[in-house]
Amino acid sequence: MATGLGKTWRQLWQTMSSIKTGVILLILTVIFSAAGTVVLQRPTADADDIQRAYSPQMLRILDFLGLTDVFHSWWFVLLLVLVSLSIIAASIDRFSNSWRYFARPYKSPDDSFRRTLAQQAQIPVDDEASALAATEKIFRKAHFHPEHVVRNQRQSIFGERNRMSEMAVYIVHASLLLIFLGGIVDALYGWRGYMALERGQQSNSIELRDKSNRALPFSVRCDSAGQENYQDGTPKKWWSNLTVVDDGREVLKKQIVVNDPLVYHGVRFYQSSYGSTGKVDTLQLTATPLAGDGKPQDIDLAMNAPVTLDPDTTVRMTEFIPDYVVRDGQVYTRSAQVDNPAAHLVMQTKGKTINVWLPPIPGFAENDQSPYKFEGKDVQMAYFTGLEVSHEPGQWAVWSGVVLMAIGLAAVFYLVHIRLWAVVVRDAQGRLVLWIGGTSNKNRDVFEQKFAELVKQIQAELTAQPKPPVDLPVASMVGD
Amino acid sequence: MSRARVEQQPAATGTTLVVMVGLSIAFLLFMGFLNVVKTGNLLTESNFLYAAFIFYAGAGALYLGFGVTGIDAYVRFASLATWAGLAATTGAVAHRWYVAGHPPFANIYEMLLSFVWTLVVLTLIAEKKFGVKVIGTVTMPVAIVGVVLMQLLPSEVHPLVPALQSTWLHVHVTLAMLAYAACALSFALAMMFLIQDSMKTETFLAAVSLFGIGTYLGVLTRFEKWGGLNVVAWNPQEKSEMFLAKGVRLFVVIPDLGWLMVLVLLAVAAPLALYAIWRKTGNDQMIAIANRAVFVSILLQALALVFFLLRARDGQYPSLDADGLFPTSLAASPFILSGIVGGIFVSLLYLLLLWRRADLERMLPSADALDRITYKTIAIAFPLLTLMIAAGAYWANRTWGSYWSWDPKETWAAITWLVYAGYLHMRITRGWRGRRAAYFAILGFAVVMFTFFGVTYLLPGLHAYA
Repeated sequence: MATGLGKTWRQLWQTMSSIKTGVILLILTVIFSAAGTVVLQRPTADADDIQRAYSPQMLRILDFLGLTDVFHSWWFVLLLVLVSLSIIAASIDRFSNSWRYFARPYKSPDDSFRRTLAQQAQIPVDDEASALAATEKIFRKAHFHPEHVVRNQRQSIFGERNRMSEMAVYIVHASLLLIFLGGIVDALYGWRGYMALERGQQSNSIELRDKSNRALPFSVRCDSAGQENYQDGTPKKWWSNLTVVDDGREVLKKQIVVNDPLVYHGVRFYQSSYGSTGKVDTLQLTATPLAGDGKPQDIDLAMNAPVTLDPDTTVRMTEFIPDYVVRDGQVYTRSAQVDNPAAHLVMQTKGKTINVWLPPIPGFAENDQSPYKFEGKDVQMAYFTGLEVSHEPGQWAVWSGVVLMAIGLAAVFYLVHIRLWAVVVRDAQGRLVLWIGGTSNKNRDVFEQKFAELVKQIQAELTAQPKPPVDLPVASMVGD
Repeated sequence: MSRARVEQQPAATGTTLVVMVGLSIAFLLFMGFLNVVKTGNLLTESNFLYAAFIFYAGAGALYLGFGVTGIDAYVRFASLATWAGLAATTGAVAHRWYVAGHPPFANIYEMLLSFVWTLVVLTLIAEKKFGVKVIGTVTMPVAIVGVVLMQLLPSEVHPLVPALQSTWLHVHVTLAMLAYAACALSFALAMMFLIQDSMKTETFLAAVSLFGIGTYLGVLTRFEKWGGLNVVAWNPQEKSEMFLAKGVRLFVVIPDLGWLMVLVLLAVAAPLALYAIWRKTGNDQMIAIANRAVFVSILLQALALVFFLLRARDGQYPSLDADGLFPTSLAASPFILSGIVGGIFVSLLYLLLLWRRADLERMLPSADALDRITYKTIAIAFPLLTLMIAAGAYWANRTWGSYWSWDPKETWAAITWLVYAGYLHMRITRGWRGRRAAYFAILGFAVVMFTFFGVTYLLPGLHAYA
């Protein structure tokens, strides 16, 4: 029973770790992602557009299959999980081999190894010690960190470079998993929403994508906001001055612009839009008393904030219509453009209430009863700044994954693991020769040249050495 | 030897071709001269582009001349023309940069400009450093189609909207252009490999025919009853396509052009049919006829191009969806135009291969070397693609607070990445070399092209008419 289970488990492991499974999963991912770009997606496309694009039956089928929201459907997530599992399994499966290769490098070349190595050369030499010394010197000069190896009483030189390159592919796979991890964390714990603030407004409520609201443990206040334009009127820059208020204290102030967000406790506030709310911020008027010799005074009216004109009289603005039209005895708003504004002022004077309209609207205005004459000077509209708010706790995993991947890929493609061996042996004719062999894990053609160059250098080094006085074969040599 | 070569191809048609190409280049130069005289300004961006167009077309023509005559000097001159074209393109890039005040990455026109520039630089590197002398036969047509598209796409200098004012955007687009140009080069190298790997000329014939069929089937999705061809209406004042409603373009029907396209489709499909018969019966006569059919199809494709140019340029045509006549313009259908131009080039390349295969093989590095260079190019392209996606994600995160939102462009960039990742895995772990790897490299470039153009133009279009 246990063996049966073990067998199933082993089979499952083999399937998961095989490159074929990996490729099939990748192809499936490609196909479904492509489908997700062809079919209109619920989260991004307009509901009306979707209705128009597909017939009701078609839409039902697409919805049922999850094709209208591919990237959030359970099966797509499952697919990505399977891809991750396949990467993990394949990496683990191959890791032990690579690790052995990495941790216990093959340093002392035996006869069969020497016979089969593709890249090798032989230089006739006089004695072992000077030949190996010359080799070591040249290897060191070429940064191969040579090592004098003695194994079974046989001496050899082993030099190598960039052994790390053998492990680089695992760095790339690990980085990909790290990115996935970040993505998963964000999918589970991250959120995104929108917040519109008028000048001076403070809020901690964010409208999420699904129209629900989320309350932050702190609030944000917009102190000011604005827009700069190019000469042709297209927007050049939007900015907002934001203040974070936590626990009743102002803890952080920052001017944000597009591409430069404010971050507080992992929550990011991005400048995303800017526009008119259609509401008035302040209305500047000149009020001239009609009776007596009072001087005209300039007043600033905000909505519903009474302003005292004289001890007996106050005025407040109760309505502001940016573009008004009178139809059937009613005042209507035609548009949000401040083209043709009208303001409704309410005066309290000596216990009397007087409705004043600027400009006077027949039937509504009691302007002739007003003790003051009002003249509009200027109007400042209220603008809102649109903030995208997001919380992505997993993004640091994503960015470190990206950096790691860049390092890993650079190592995979551009770090070449080169290994060199040198040993003194007897050749077929019984002559004493220095055998040099080498291998590289990529760019074999470049390595060929490099190897030939090294052999030439060793040869030059050997001829430059003073000859030993006695030309005797070394008795202790093990020939082949 | 050279005698045998001369007999190998029809000499008379060859001369005709050279004369035709020579005449058309003389015509282009004359038009360019008129333009300079008219505006009185030599160093403008459009003149630079025009010069680039002439030089690239000249390089293409010289390769063709090599195909006809088999004289190696043509290839050297083609390389010189490529250098001249690069100088002109560099002028256009510099001019653009100076006028716009930012590197030319802001819209698809500017990106295309950068792409062509990078592609030509890489072509010259491949020529000089790796000794792939005739790589230009594949990359020059791509450059020419790029320059033609540039003439049609909206090219006004727009100030950057706030979201685009970011160093990261420039990093992102620079990487994208480098990566895409490297992908284009790997595609060209893979093609060269297939030649050196002694893939049958007949197989290339079938592939060329398939490409033509694909192109004209694409064009004929716009076929309208009574043989007309639907093209998008163009508003010359606004310099934009006309819309019936939001996202629904207004089409006008150019009468009879549809029939011509059907005829061309038949002509480009004929070689494939003959190839199929040849595969079945082994009758070599079929291939001989098919080769002649390619020649006929080139003439018909040229005819289609001429008629399309004449009729779709500034004409007034009725629409089925609205009353009255509406103008159209070449700018309204850049992809039909580049499809037709691309089809002609591909067929011409086939002729080059058919006539000069032995010379091509002599001039190219060995199949092994090409296979290695292809892999090396992808080994450059892949990290660039990775960094490009990462820079894009980082920019999106700084701008919109989300590093990945599965929009079509992002998704297709990821798909491109996956395809090349697949290539690398098959090559490294499965030891895929040679032909299968070359096919993979070609597929990869097809996906790149779709990501670059297809997503921008076809996917929204698909949505509007589904």
